[in-house]
Amino acid sequence: MAILEVRNIEKHFGNTQVLSDISFSLEEGQALSIIGSSGSGKTTLLRCLNFLERPDHGSIAVKGGVIFDASDPSTQSEKDIRQKRLHFGLVFQNFNLFPQYTALQNVTLARELLARERGGENRDAIVKAGRELLAQMGLADRAYHYPHQLSGGQQQRVAIARALALQPDILCFDEPTSALDPELTGEVLRVIRSLAEQKTTMIIVTHEMAFARDVADQVIFMDGGVIVEQGDPREVIDHPREERTRQFLARYTEN
Amino acid sequence: MSVILGRLCEGFIINCQIFGLTLVFSIPLGLLVCFGSMSRFKPLSWLVKTFVWIIRGTPLMLQLLVIFLGPGLLGWGTPWPAGNSGRLMAAVVAFVINYACYFSEIFRGGIESVPRGQYEAGQVLGMTKPQIFFKVTLLQLVKRIVPPMGNEIITLVKDTSLARIISNKEIIMTANEYAAKGLIWPLFSTAIFFLVFVGVLTLLFGWFERKLDYFR
Ligand SMILES: Nc1ncnc2c1ncn2[C@@H]1O[C@H](COP(=O)(O)OP(=O)(O)OP(=O)(O)O)[C@@H](O)[C@H]1O
Ligand SMILES: [Mg+2]
Repeated sequence: MAILEVRNIEKHFGNTQVLSDISFSLEEGQALSIIGSSGSGKTTLLRCLNFLERPDHGSIAVKGGVIFDASDPSTQSEKDIRQKRLHFGLVFQNFNLFPQYTALQNVTLARELLARERGGENRDAIVKAGRELLAQMGLADRAYHYPHQLSGGQQQRVAIARALALQPDILCFDEPTSALDPELTGEVLRVIRSLAEQKTTMIIVTHEMAFARDVADQVIFMDGGVIVEQGDPREVIDHPREERTRQFLARYTEN
Repeated sequence: MSVILGRLCEGFIINCQIFGLTLVFSIPLGLLVCFGSMSRFKPLSWLVKTFVWIIRGTPLMLQLLVIFLGPGLLGWGTPWPAGNSGRLMAAVVAFVINYACYFSEIFRGGIESVPRGQYEAGQVLGMTKPQIFFKVTLLQLVKRIVPPMGNEIITLVKDTSLARIISNKEIIMTANEYAAKGLIWPLFSTAIFFLVFVGVLTLLFGWFERKLDYFR
């Protein structure tokens, strides 16, 4: 059974339709890459999954349970949305680390707040888990650095650890390397690659075609708010069937 | 001379009272005004913004007179008790309203300067709105408003002497009485009181800014 089932999502801002009839599913432990030109609606789609935007139409199911259905108001209560968000993690293009906290505090803050609310885990366990996550990101020696003392690549890895700390079912990345200097993208892509090897369920919006092809189990190409083509990355990226996909990829191989 | 200095000190206590009371009340009121002007309910935000415009757009001296004399002139009867305490009270009310409006604009600037992404990062991590406010945005906001608040508060120290317009016997008024009798030095020496007070505040704000220097 698919861990994520997205059906007929639509979203408009005012009169502009940004997403139309988006449907796809994702199996547990798989990585999905979303590619597409600027303005095609990739960020909006991730924001819908994380309840930062509310779709006008369609439904989202996680592990077989419908967590959002635009036609069913009972799935949209403000209170539940907070809980439902925790199915997803989101790594932002520009990191959005909390500047007043150290790397370690960034990773542990949300989990501590949740633990305080629900009981359970004690602080030491959370801090220990936070350190392990930072170590996994290759940042064991940066735990007490503040974000402004870290390079962009290091900041993004802290942000990934922060998202992983809440153990989301599905981790979403919105162009995780776009804000980085070219020489820093490698370290972030390596970390995501190792997460894929550990069978982390992920959705990765990216402009790194080679990376998408290597790491993803499935690729979606979006254009103008619709899914133009989806399937195996080697099929979609190396042998696209649709003309629009071909044009997009041609532009990429040119530069 | 020591008698004169004693009188000046008594006057300066009035300035300090106005200063302290204004701070204590105008900061929370400023927060309220700020939320009002940022309200998504348009009529409220429009009303509050108009009010802020009027208060910031007219001289504080005029506002003091309006607050103190206005109700009486309109035939409502004056709400202020007779004597010095009534004058002080009227002055504090005028100062609180005036400074709440200035502070509200500083608060608004501070709130709007915290990037939206900070708020969204908190949301995505399952935090509640109060958690996001207190754990994520508050300190960033404080860091940004400390310098403009410092400026405004230093201005307040000097503005307190405007209270003499409704006959509060603050330091300048006291010194002026000597000047009228031909004794000038008390008037000039009032500068020392203000300079010392502002100096202490400057050190305090500098210390606070350095405290928050550890992050950007
Ligand atoms: N809050 C908003 N209000 C109005 N229009 C919006 C809003 N957010 C996005 N849009 C519009 O929706 C369209 C899709 O935007 P989106 O950010 O999802 O594209 P994207 O595929 O992520 O692009 P990029 O590759 O540049 O990040 C764009 O035309 C954008 O202008
Ligand atoms: Mg985008």
